[in-house]
Amino acid sequence: MYRKFLRLTKSLTVSLEKLLNLLTTSEHNPLYFHGAIPLYLFWLHIFTGIMLWMYYIPTLDRAWSSVNYISALPTPGLPISAEGGIPYGAVIRGIHRWGAAALMIATLLHMLRVYFTDRHRSWRWLPWVSGVALLACVLFLGLSGYLLVWDNRAYFLVVATQHFLAALPGVGDALAAFLVGGSGITDYTLTRFLFFHIGLACFLFWLVWMHFIRLKEPVATPSRATNFLLMGFILVAAGTFPAINITHELLAKYGGDPRIAAQAAYVASDAPAHIGSLVETIRYDAWYMFPYWLIQNLGVGVTWIVLLGGTVLLCVAPFYPRDRRANIAEVVEAKCTGCTFCSLDCPFEAITMVDRAPGSKFKQIAVVQAARCSECGICVGACPFQAIELPELHSKTIEADLLGLLNKGA
Amino acid sequence: MSDPGTPRTIIGFICERSLPLDRMLDANKALLDDPDTRVVVVPCSGFVKPTQMELALANGAAATFVCGCAIGDCHYRTGNLMIRERLEGKRNPKLRKATDRRKVGMFFVTMKDQAPFLEALAAFRAGLAQAVPASAAKEE
Repeated sequence: MYRKFLRLTKSLTVSLEKLLNLLTTSEHNPLYFHGAIPLYLFWLHIFTGIMLWMYYIPTLDRAWSSVNYISALPTPGLPISAEGGIPYGAVIRGIHRWGAAALMIATLLHMLRVYFTDRHRSWRWLPWVSGVALLACVLFLGLSGYLLVWDNRAYFLVVATQHFLAALPGVGDALAAFLVGGSGITDYTLTRFLFFHIGLACFLFWLVWMHFIRLKEPVATPSRATNFLLMGFILVAAGTFPAINITHELLAKYGGDPRIAAQAAYVASDAPAHIGSLVETIRYDAWYMFPYWLIQNLGVGVTWIVLLGGTVLLCVAPFYPRDRRANIAEVVEAKCTGCTFCSLDCPFEAITMVDRAPGSKFKQIAVVQAARCSECGICVGACPFQAIELPELHSKTIEADLLGLLNKGA
Repeated sequence: MSDPGTPRTIIGFICERSLPLDRMLDANKALLDDPDTRVVVVPCSGFVKPTQMELALANGAAATFVCGCAIGDCHYRTGNLMIRERLEGKRNPKLRKATDRRKVGMFFVTMKDQAPFLEALAAFRAGLAQAVPASAAKEE
């Protein structure tokens, strides 16, 4: 039943990709670079994040105004003016903001595509599980980014997160205090949020390394056309709706302008936070703030169950259903010359070369790590000496079949 | 009418994940739409050795081809790229220099590309019909 479901999802995915191929050709089909696109977007965040970091002041009284300073310079066509400001700061911030939505969407699409084409199971468990960790990391990165602005919404999110963590038996209160760096919200809280944001970005590199460690030559860069197209979309979005801070004064003065209304609804930050003055509700960013929507609408307990349950299900997905695994490549010791062709061509880093005993005719021999072998036989095609074979599909059987087909055809 | 002395059988090595072979083959592993094309089903196009394609040609096949998943979408990540590079002489093991490249084909398709594949195969066969007599005349 489950296998049938996976076959159906694969068929639907291939149909969708075929349609897109008509538009983009297979060389530039973004669905064939689904793993490289999130990484490209992440690099975009690193560069824009460094630029924003140069002007960010992580204290309660300066955080909001420092972010406002970055994006307050008048932008052509927009009714905003303030003293100071960084040239194109609102656009850089907009790229960071719009890119964050694109990053989450691209990560989810990548995950769905891998799942729907049944490329998450068995020997692929490590890329999948590290991918789940990457998804969680992207979520926390986005959330910590929202906190750094230190507007009404950030304050609301911090209080909601503290309640959420405090509900955990035993360690809850300690975690809630750890989040804000003490018993109450102080300047150290924002320093901590900045550390979370940048620290998680650094940790994400390690996770990407884990994600790639068992993949030979992973596709880490989209096609040039895809790069330009993606960058174009984000630039247009950031240029049309730059990320700005919305204040009550601004809304009172320009609230009737449809662009300000659109910005207020989607990309803008709120008025500065005031400790002790908590807003009743916030604008939820669907990609990053769905846990808070769950907390507010379903309660803390249900949200814990949904989040933990979902994570566990994602983590065990590669181990069900189990495959037979009877065709793992085997090295014929007497024939292996240690040429390394199989090791170089194995797409899952399942073959390592080890030294032979002193005095042997050849220096090295290939060794297959069974848990990593996909049974694809690419190593068999790579070997000029018939020194590695799939037990249930031996080269001699293929050749006998081939000659049999030719006799039938004669 | 083709010359009865001219070999017509084409041997195809087709990845089981690239085409819906359960609907395309008869009991003798011949293509239903082109009975002169016989198919060796392989787990991945990267599994195919260039020497096996040469073996087919040496034993009377009119031509041989390999068919894998669309470039960029190999189920095993790189199998189609590997066989393409091997047949293009960019990666070991390669085809022998003496092997007639006109008789060696490559197709990379998705599960939904049955009709385009058959069209490409027909064009490949038509190309052979033009190329092979010319080379035969040259040998004479």
